[in-house]
Amino acid sequence: MSCAMWEERVALLAGGDLDRAEAAGAERHLEECARCRALAEDLHRELDGLRAVHAEPLAAEQYAAVRRRVLTELAKPPRGRARWPWAAPLIAAAAAVLAVVMMMKPAARPAPELPRVAAVAPAMQRERGLGRSLMVAAQKRVEARRGGRPMAARAKPARTPARAGRGPAPPRVADSPVRMVQLATADPNVVIYWLLEGKEEER
Amino acid sequence: MRILALAAIVVGEQPEGRDDAFEAARAGDAAAFDLLMRRHERQVLGTAYRLAGNLEDAQDASQEVFLRLYRNLARLEHVNLAAWLYRVTVNVCHDSRRRGLATVPMDDATELAAAGDPQQSAGETERRALLLRSLRTLSGKERAALVLRDMEGLSTAEVACVLGSSVATVRSQVSKARLKMRDFVERYSRRRL
Repeated sequence: MSCAMWEERVALLAGGDLDRAEAAGAERHLEECARCRALAEDLHRELDGLRAVHAEPLAAEQYAAVRRRVLTELAKPPRGRARWPWAAPLIAAAAAVLAVVMMMKPAARPAPELPRVAAVAPAMQRERGLGRSLMVAAQKRVEARRGGRPMAARAKPARTPARAGRGPAPPRVADSPVRMVQLATADPNVVIYWLLEGKEEER
Repeated sequence: MRILALAAIVVGEQPEGRDDAFEAARAGDAAAFDLLMRRHERQVLGTAYRLAGNLEDAQDASQEVFLRLYRNLARLEHVNLAAWLYRVTVNVCHDSRRRGLATVPMDDATELAAAGDPQQSAGETERRALLLRSLRTLSGKERAALVLRDMEGLSTAEVACVLGSSVATVRSQVSKARLKMRDFVERYSRRRL
């Protein structure tokens, strides 16, 4: 074991922190090693010096000053109440207002479920509301593509896979090649519109 | 492990006998609390002084320790008061050191040593001042271990109990601290020559 490795044990030996076997081993090394012996002597002297310094009491006034400060601090009223005397009623009022607001506010609605298509309803055309406006917009697009020619009455409406064999055919709009298929979903508030151009008639 | 358990019995968990002053202080008697402080002021202020490095910070720390004692009197009935005070003193000094006084790196130790009064008489007084300054080169944990072990005279097991460490850790910290202190003094002595 090199001297560098002995240093830690010598430092512990100087403070009396080794057990008997460890101390005996360290002392044997000190007999053989002048460098570690010098280290041990320095450490002994410094530890003695530290203990002597620490044993000197401070002036009585220094202790008394601490006691005075502590007792003065304890004699003060609790800091929170003294500093914010108006805070308690204000916080209580704010809490009451918050409680009333919370009671008046309706409960949060659960997030709506995504509509699931339960069944495909027979295609039908609507002439009012959203269905009507969708149809008009689609018609205009088709007319624009044909160079502004108005569309004459068309042949029979296309049969969509969704509609096939499912009830009566929807009424036709006389001059429209665009048909709208309405798909009903499990949610009565959700309706899916499917706009079809009359490609069969153009063949 | 066996030594650590023994330490817990000796220092940590063995309650002192509680007397009338303690009970009266718990009941809010300021005079009784004053008496309690007088009993422990040398321990608290002395330890804080060595940990903080200056009297002003040590007095601030001691004040905080005694205020915590007052606030916790009800819970200290079955606790060794001396060990509890050591623990709180170390914690308070550690917190205040984190806010202000930093450990001086060993590389700057010669400058720190040179910061002493040049007119100070050589010899014992100078050597003592140098030793105290050497404490500033130690880390917080090393300093606490050295102060409790070598200055306050607690056993290694008791120091371990106060600091919440193992005996092996405390031995390592104490050993390193002693070697650093000796290194500091040696550097200063070489500089003087």
